[in-house]
Amino acid sequence: MARILINLPKAKRGEIVEIRTLIQHPMETGYRPKGDGTSFPRDIIRNFVCELDQIEIFRADLFPAIAANPFIAFTVKAEEGGTMTFSWIDDLGMSQTETVDFIVE
Amino acid sequence: MTRASFSRRAVLRTGVVLSAAAALARPAIAQSAGHVVVIGGGFAGATCARELNRGGLNVTLVEPAATYTACPFSNGVLAGLRPLSRQQFTYDALKKEGLAVVAQRATRIDGQERRVSLSDGTTLGYDRLVLAPGIDLRYDALPGYTEDVAQIMPHAWKAGEQTSLLRGQLEAMPDGGTVIISVPANPYRCPPGPYERASLVAYYLKIQKPRAKLIVLDAKDSFSKQGLFQGAWKALYPNLEWVSMSSGGKVIEVDVRQRMLVTEFGRHKADVANVIPPQHAGEVAVLAGTADRTGWCPIDPVTFESRQQPGIHIIGDACIAGSMPKSAFSANAQAKVCAAAIINLLRGQAPQTPKLINTCYSLVAPDYGITVAGVYQPVNGVLTDVEGAGGVSPADGSASLRSLEASYADAWFRTITDEVFG
Amino acid sequence: MTGRSFQPKLSRRAVLTGCLALIAARPARATTEAMRDAIRHFTGSAEIKAGRVKMDIPPLVENGNSVPLAITVESPMEKDDFVQAIAVFNEKNPQPNIGIFHLSSRSGRAFVSTRIRLGDSQNITAIAQMSDGSFWSGSVELIVTLPACAEN
Ligand SMILES: Cc1cc2nc3c(=O)[nH]c(=O)nc-3n(C[C@H](O)[C@H](O)[C@H](O)COP(=O)(O)OP(=O)(O)OC[C@H]3O[C@@H](n4cnc5c(N)ncnc54)[C@H](O)[C@@H]3O)c2cc1C
Repeated sequence: MARILINLPKAKRGEIVEIRTLIQHPMETGYRPKGDGTSFPRDIIRNFVCELDQIEIFRADLFPAIAANPFIAFTVKAEEGGTMTFSWIDDLGMSQTETVDFIVE
Repeated sequence: MTRASFSRRAVLRTGVVLSAAAALARPAIAQSAGHVVVIGGGFAGATCARELNRGGLNVTLVEPAATYTACPFSNGVLAGLRPLSRQQFTYDALKKEGLAVVAQRATRIDGQERRVSLSDGTTLGYDRLVLAPGIDLRYDALPGYTEDVAQIMPHAWKAGEQTSLLRGQLEAMPDGGTVIISVPANPYRCPPGPYERASLVAYYLKIQKPRAKLIVLDAKDSFSKQGLFQGAWKALYPNLEWVSMSSGGKVIEVDVRQRMLVTEFGRHKADVANVIPPQHAGEVAVLAGTADRTGWCPIDPVTFESRQQPGIHIIGDACIAGSMPKSAFSANAQAKVCAAAIINLLRGQAPQTPKLINTCYSLVAPDYGITVAGVYQPVNGVLTDVEGAGGVSPADGSASLRSLEASYADAWFRTITDEVFG
Repeated sequence: MTGRSFQPKLSRRAVLTGCLALIAARPARATTEAMRDAIRHFTGSAEIKAGRVKMDIPPLVENGNSVPLAITVESPMEKDDFVQAIAVFNEKNPQPNIGIFHLSSRSGRAFVSTRIRLGDSQNITAIAQMSDGSFWSGSVELIVTLPACAEN
């Protein structure tokens, strides 16, 4: 399991908060030569999805030009609190999900 | 030339032909050929002024401070290994050589009229101007970090009072406290400097305050001589923790009231916080219109003449020197190239294409030194690393090699400061 | 005081690894045309207007392995007027696409921040797709250098 960092601040109703996420992943581009004429096979995080109580609030399609350990920050307007899920999906379709309570006061 | 020959010889072995300083002759020319004003009496400016003066030019060095406090080895001062006075140098030797040293700050530059205004209201005319103002800190770049806050959370990235302040805080901190060093993204003065500092502060804590912790919060995932530093830290300093950017180490805000450093993913409370903020070229270079939107000064690598303001040359930390790191070693080498080019230009001769060298020494402990060296030459208008020249200390070096390199570091400091100020 | 024993042992390879990985990572290069095609793929035949898109990226990058990039788009971000997606393109990496970020009126602000790889000095373009179907764009030019002493 890759290490995940999430910064989801508590929010007041109506406030816009910044959510920061990072997953430790090499984002192997597929272009890095092994030295024998071939390259290290591509292995990247292809999608990132953030949902609040199963409703998508943000999604990203990533390409090899995203740096290793992809960092993604975005905002959400706090209306209702709930369960926020963060999922990262790699080239093989494998996903890793993290869940955090979103507290709105 | 003997003083400078140590490093040059070392590089020669690796197959590189010549350093700029040796390759470019210093032709003597008549005084009437022109007046050069040099602003800033650090490693770059003092070296350049001396070279120009010895080349027979009429030179004025503008530097407000009567005493220069050198940054290299100031991390040793923080660790209590040496007094600050060993970092300090005067301009007496330069004056004895007949160099005019004006103890003023340059406040305005008129590139059209070729005049410099000084803080006492007087002005100086020039035929060529050399700017060597080093760095200024970008207080706007890190929310919460201001000049006032730097009195509480010192940067100590300009040696002097700031060094003493941080040293005092380290001494006053009780055992068991937490020291945090915050490191900016590139580019900044002295790429390995923060890691040498972490090492030597860890050394001090290990001996004096063994229960204390040191955390390095970094805005980068990799750094200069990383393998060597980390290998040494593992062996020597179990209480030193390096937090890379991808582990949440990037500081984005400073909360001085709570002595807190806020990172992208958390908050860290410090008993002693050393915040090294982002930097730009010394303010006077910005005022002169020589800095571009990066905050640093683009130059022609053959003459170090500004790409934006003809007749003005920029050397040392303030310029964009391509692959060459911002170090005292680089500043000194660039100053010699620039002086030789100015002498040629004022004689109506073509400047020679230089080759420059740099070596960054770092101490991991008083008797444990590591090195990275490089050779640079202009390629398509940019100073570029010469492949196959230079290198870093071996990862598996013996204790005696580390100790030898520590003594080289010490010898280098004595040699360069003697050359520049002695 | 001699440089007798240590310099010859220095390993050049250690210095180069960081840079090499990056340089070698572009056997084929995207081009301005490839970038234009990728943008067309995203926008279809719609007109792209310049403006409303602001990119925040350091103008001088010393390590192209990880370059912070933040994008904001002028938009009220309300139910009937918001930014649907922001796509980012480059002209010199092996592929022109960097990322596509899908937002909604729930986002509150049209903002996204990430870190990207850049093998060379180049132009980066971001295109915002609005909920009314219009497209807006912004570009920045940046310089990438790779000093050997800085990272290895
Ligand atoms: C902790 C630390 C450790 C370091 N260790 C090393 C090391 O081991 N080896 C190494 O090679 N480098 C080292 N460095 C880097 C080195 O200190 C700098 O690269 C070097 O000082 C750059 O020289 P400079 O002449 O460009 O700038 P500076 O040395 O900063 O000199 C600039 C001078 O210009 C003057 N000035 C500024 N503005 C004006 C104005 N308007 N009018 C007149 N004068 C002005 C200033 O007063 C100052 O004296 C270290 C740096 C730090 C912070």
